[in-house]
Amino acid sequence: MVGTNPHGQAAEAVVATASVPILELRGLEKRYGATHALKPADLAFVSGEIHAIVGENGAGKSTLIKLLTGVITRTSGEVFWEGQPVALATPHEAIEFGINAVHQEVVLCRHLTVAANMFLGDEAVGFGLLRKGEMTRKAQAILDDLGFDLPAHVLLGDLTIGQQQLIATARAAIRGTRFLIFDEPTAYLTRTEAAQLFALIRRLKERGVTIVYISHRLEEVFELSDRVSILRDGTLVGTRVTAETNETELISLMINRSLEQIYHKEFFPAGDVLIETKNLSGPGFRDVSLSVRAGQIVGLYGLIGAGRSEFVMSLFGRHRKTGGSIFWQGKEVDIRSEREAMDLGIALAPESRRDQGLCINLPVGFNLNLPIFPHITMAGLVPFSADRQRADRQIADLQVKTSGRGALVSSLSGGNQQKIVIGKWLNHGARLFIFDEPTVGVDVGTKAEIYRLLARLLAEGAGIILISSYLPEVYELADELHVFRRGEDVARHAYHTASHEEILSEAIGV
Amino acid sequence: MSTDTKTATVARKSSANWLFGLTLLGLLLAMCIVLSLTTKSFLTEANIMNLMRQGAMIAILAVGETFVIITTGIDLSVGAVVGFCTVIAAWLLTHDFSIMTTVIITLGVGVAIGMFHGFGIVQMGLPPFIITLATLTSLRGIGLLITNGATINIVNDTFTEFSRNDFMGLPNLFWMVILVGVPAYIFLHHSRYGRYIFAVGSNMEAARLSGVNVKLTVYLAYTLSSTCAAFVGLLLAARIGVGNAMQADGWELQAIASSVIGGTSLFGAIGSVHGPLIGAFILATINNGANLLNVNSFWQRIITGLLIILIVYFDQLRRRRG
Repeated sequence: MVGTNPHGQAAEAVVATASVPILELRGLEKRYGATHALKPADLAFVSGEIHAIVGENGAGKSTLIKLLTGVITRTSGEVFWEGQPVALATPHEAIEFGINAVHQEVVLCRHLTVAANMFLGDEAVGFGLLRKGEMTRKAQAILDDLGFDLPAHVLLGDLTIGQQQLIATARAAIRGTRFLIFDEPTAYLTRTEAAQLFALIRRLKERGVTIVYISHRLEEVFELSDRVSILRDGTLVGTRVTAETNETELISLMINRSLEQIYHKEFFPAGDVLIETKNLSGPGFRDVSLSVRAGQIVGLYGLIGAGRSEFVMSLFGRHRKTGGSIFWQGKEVDIRSEREAMDLGIALAPESRRDQGLCINLPVGFNLNLPIFPHITMAGLVPFSADRQRADRQIADLQVKTSGRGALVSSLSGGNQQKIVIGKWLNHGARLFIFDEPTVGVDVGTKAEIYRLLARLLAEGAGIILISSYLPEVYELADELHVFRRGEDVARHAYHTASHEEILSEAIGV
Repeated sequence: MSTDTKTATVARKSSANWLFGLTLLGLLLAMCIVLSLTTKSFLTEANIMNLMRQGAMIAILAVGETFVIITTGIDLSVGAVVGFCTVIAAWLLTHDFSIMTTVIITLGVGVAIGMFHGFGIVQMGLPPFIITLATLTSLRGIGLLITNGATINIVNDTFTEFSRNDFMGLPNLFWMVILVGVPAYIFLHHSRYGRYIFAVGSNMEAARLSGVNVKLTVYLAYTLSSTCAAFVGLLLAARIGVGNAMQADGWELQAIASSVIGGTSLFGAIGSVHGPLIGAFILATINNGANLLNVNSFWQRIITGLLIILIVYFDQLRRRRG
C-alpha cells in the first residue's frame, strides 16, 4: 500500500483516517436510581473490526447495548459518531446512523414469509400493491449470495430458531448497516448454523461493517474477534487484542476466579436405580434404553433437535410414550401427566426459561412455590407464612439477586431467572432431577453456582439427567454420557472415556 | 448498600398496589361528593339504595368475568346467561317448583354452561371469544324458544320481594355482592386454584410443567363465571318479576368494562376481586349521576365510553411507572 503511494505523508494521513473510531464513548454512564448499571466507560470501536464484549450477567452488557442502540438515554458522558458528538437518544437515530442489533430472541413476524420479513417496512411496491414475486426473487438472491441454503418463500415460523436467526442477520445486513451488534447469537444455533453465521459476520467485516459480538462462549470470541472488552459489575475493566490474550486471563478479568473451579465435579458412589427406560419411544425419539442411579449424573449430548428434550418430556408426562416401558425404582409405571411424574419424585427444569420455565409477569415467590402449592395448602387455602418462608429461604439459599419475593421475575437478569427455574424444584422433595440446558445464556458465576448445586443434590441422594448442547459441560460433569442423534441414543461413554472429537462425530453422524 | 434500599423498594411497591385500590375508591368517593354537592337528589336514602341495587348485579358479573380474563380468556356470554336464567327461574316457579329447587337448578344450569365453555376451549380447542360468542347468541335463542318469544310473569311474592327488600339498612342485592365477593376474594388470592388461575394466565406451558392441572383450571374459571351469571339471573328475575330471554342485553360489556376499570389486564395474570367490584359501582355512579344531572341518555353512552378510555389509560400509565 505504502509502496504504491509516492507521498509518504499522504499515506500516513490515510492510515490516520482509517483508525478514526467509527463510534467512540467517553465517560459513558448509566444510573437507574441508586443502581449504577454502567460506570463511566471510555471505549472506541474501530471501523471494520469485530469487537467482542464479555462479562457475567448483570455486568452491564445489556445496558451498553441499549445505550448504543438508543433504547435508553445515558445519564452522562459523550458519544462520538465518526468524530462528531451525537445524542443517540432514540432507536430511530441509531438506525439512521446504521446501527443495528440482532437479538438472541428473534423479533420478526413468524406468520409472514422469509422474503416478507426481510423486506418488512421496506417493501417493493408497484401501483400501491406489493410486488411479492420480485421481493421473493430478490430475497432468494441475497440468501443464495450469503451461502444460506434457505428458501425465501416459506413462512418464517416453519424454520428452526437458528435459521430464523440467520434471516434476522441477513435482514440487518441488507439495510445499509454500518455497525451491527450481536447479542448471544449462537445460544440456540446448531454447529452448521453457527458456522454459517460466522461466515456471514466475516463477510460483513470485509465490507467494512463494525461488529460488536456479545457471547458467553469464549471459544467463539477467540474464533471471531479482533479485540475484546471485559465488563465486570458495571465497570469496563479492560480491552485486549484477542490474539494477545487467552481464556484464563479473560475469565479472571470477568470474575476473578480460575477456570478449574468452574466445572465443579464430585464423585459419589452409585446408589439404587431411580429410573430405567426400556426401548422407550415417543414423539421425536425412539428406542431409548437408559437408567439413572442415585448419586449419578447422566448426560445427554447431541445437536439441537436430536430428541433429547422430547425424551425427557415423555419421562415427565408431558408427551405420551408410544412404545417401550419406564421403570421407577424397579416398578413399571405409566406416567400420564406432569403431576404423576412429580408425585413419583421427578423434577424437570425445562429448556426455555421464557416459554416453559417461568410465569414471567408474576412475582419471584409465586414462581418458586408454584409446584408445591398442593403441599402447603391447608383446608384449601395457602397460608401466608408457609408461602413467605419457603420463598425467602429459597431466595437466600440460591443467592437470587432480587429486591424480594414480591418482585416480578421479568425484572431479574437471565442468570437469576435460571436460578428460579431450578429453585422451584428444590422444595419439592424430588429424587430425579432433569435439567435441560440449565446454563444457556447464564453467566460464568451463576454457572459455577449451578454446578455446585448439582453436586449438593447428588450428595443428598438424588440422580440427575443433564441435557446440554455444550460439550465441555456434559463432558466434565456426567458420570455417564449418552449421545443422541436424530431421535436415537447412538452411543454411551463412561466419565472421560472418549475424546471430544469422537463424541462430536457421533453426534453429527460422520 | 442494599438491604435497606431493597426493603424500601419492596415496601414502596406493595404500598403502590394498595394505593391503586385506594385511588379507585377515591375516584368513586370523589364522584359521590361532587354529585352530592351539585344535585339535591343524589345524597338521599332512596337514591343511594337504588345505586347499590343498580351496581350490584354488574358487580357480581364482573367478579366472575375477572376469573376468566385473568386466564387470558374472555366470556362474552354472561349477559345472555343472565337473560336465559331469568327464563329458567320463571319457568320453574310457574311450574310450582319451590324457591330452593329453582335456585339450585338455575345455578346448576350456570355450572353446565360454564362446563360447556370449558369443553369447547379445552377439548375442542376453540378460542374463548368464539365459544362464548356462540353461546351468547344461541342461549338467547333457546330462551325465546322456551317462552315462544313471550315474557313469563313470576307470581311468587316471596321470590320477587327478595330483590326489593333490605337487611340491616342495606339492600339485599348489595348483601349478595358481599356474599359473592368475600369467598371470591379468598378463593382468588389465598387458595391454590386461585393462584393456578394466575399461573395459567401468565404462562400456560410453564404452569403445566409445574404440575398445574391447566385443563381443570380453565374449566373452573369459566364455570365460576357462568355460575355468577346464573346467580345474577335469579336476582334479576326477582327484581323485575319476569322471565325474558332478551333481558340483560349488553351486560357482558359492562362486566368486562368494570373488570378492566378495576385493574384487570386483558393480557392475563393481573387482576383482583375488589377492583372489579369498585369498577362496577363507578360505572353505576356515572349512569346514576348522569340521570340526576339530566344528561341526555344518548350522551350517557358516549360519556361512559370516554370515561372507560380515560380510567384505563391512567391505570396503564401507573403500571408502566411501577
